[in-house]
Amino acid sequence: MNKTTAKEKIILFTCNWHAFSSLEAAGIKNLVYSPALVPIRISCLGRITPGIILKAFEGGAAGVCLVGCPEGECHYQNGNREAHEVFEESRNLLRLLGYNENLLQYHLNSAGDGESFQVNIDNLVKNIQENRKIR
Amino acid sequence: MNTFAEIVQSNQAWLCLDCGKCSSVCPITLHLVDGYTSPRLLVEGAVNSGEDRVLEDPLLWSCLTCQRCSEICPSGVQFSEFIQDARQLAQEGGQRGECTHGGVIQSWMKSMTDPALEQNRLDWIDDELRIASESDVIYFPGCLPYYDTVFGKIDVEGTGIAKAAVKILNHLGIEPMVLKNERCCGHDPYWQGDMDTFRKLAEMNLETLSQTGAKRLITTCPECAFTLKSTYPEQVGDLGLEVLHITELLAEDENFHNIFPNNDSESLSVTYHDPCRLGRFMGIYQQPRDMIDNLGCELIEMGHHAQTSICCGTSCWTNCGQLNKKVQTDRLKEARSTGAEKLITSCVKCQIHYRCAQEDPVSGNEIQIDIQDLTTLIAERI
Repeated sequence: MNKTTAKEKIILFTCNWHAFSSLEAAGIKNLVYSPALVPIRISCLGRITPGIILKAFEGGAAGVCLVGCPEGECHYQNGNREAHEVFEESRNLLRLLGYNENLLQYHLNSAGDGESFQVNIDNLVKNIQENRKIR
Repeated sequence: MNTFAEIVQSNQAWLCLDCGKCSSVCPITLHLVDGYTSPRLLVEGAVNSGEDRVLEDPLLWSCLTCQRCSEICPSGVQFSEFIQDARQLAQEGGQRGECTHGGVIQSWMKSMTDPALEQNRLDWIDDELRIASESDVIYFPGCLPYYDTVFGKIDVEGTGIAKAAVKILNHLGIEPMVLKNERCCGHDPYWQGDMDTFRKLAEMNLETLSQTGAKRLITTCPECAFTLKSTYPEQVGDLGLEVLHITELLAEDENFHNIFPNNDSESLSVTYHDPCRLGRFMGIYQQPRDMIDNLGCELIEMGHHAQTSICCGTSCWTNCGQLNKKVQTDRLKEARSTGAEKLITSCVKCQIHYRCAQEDPVSGNEIQIDIQDLTTLIAERI
């Protein structure tokens, strides 16, 4: 497999709970997903800030995916709602800066559901790769 | 690269060793909780113990570069410049201040150093505003559209100020150019000591702005005005343009009364906060006050005003914490104690910092006062 270069990397932020469990489930079931993804596990998706997201783009990432717990199932009650606000704010910033806003994607996935993770994450990656304009 | 000894020498900071007058006015020294430091102690540390002592000093990154110290300095030491030099040295050694707001502002500034970036920063221009593709005057909104996104939730005026500025210029018969690809002026990277980002931004602005053929550049942000007017010629080159803060432009006009007739404002009482860059750095104290007077507002001064004005508490998006909140709440209490209905300022960053401090539920009503930018106050009268 070709080595992924820095400019093709897609940073995947997952929370420690539903999202990371679904990523692990995909791995256990040998479900293949894009090698461009670089997963970073954080305690809750609510801890993400526009600063962290912009930093990824500043460092040359092709895109950023945020994956968290399904609606109403956040381990800390409202982390995913907060993350959604950050997602909207960051998209606005990306638009101002002239990036395609679709380079930032958001998805909520149930724990243990590797198949859904694979299908959805593939869609997000496709979406990012089709929308790459500047980088 | 300068050493600390050279920095002390070039800023004549050794004069501080015999004095320390500024310790009594430094807003940071006043509110320090852990330990004690002052501009003099920092310089003393640089002279006696060298680099390590300075790099550990809390004042290195918490200094507001507000020039309050230089204002009363009997020896003319530019302590803010000394701090800027010292921060440069610290950055070169891999140290940096703590970025506020999760570093998002530093990130967008660094992202703007990419020459391929095509920003969408003009969405705020609506049909009522008249903009020209070629003009003698450029309006430079700076980071206002970005502040809308990040600080919209605390009701910062942001592009409201930009709209007001264009409305005022249109009212004066000026149709300004507003450039799609201007970059951040680089004020904040410069004062953080991040010269690499500053130079890249400044060189791009220099190229874009000098190609326009305009004669004047108007800003609504005192930090942009000071950086474009004074820092650029020293560090990267002259823009070849006359740079004016909007209050300077308006003060030129003796017929202000006729152009902006004061209507229902008779009863409005306001107090005015001098931004550091506009006041102590550029010496513009009287013009905004004349403006307020001309609008028919009653101006009630705070105890600390004009040269003795106190900084809004945070500078260059670095190191905001308990100390800074103390500076801000004290200043807001002072504004409230005047009994004025509104706190007027002419810098968007002062507004951001005060509005952010007002979010504090503990201080409650003690620090609540309506805050408005002078530009929008004037535009409301048109």
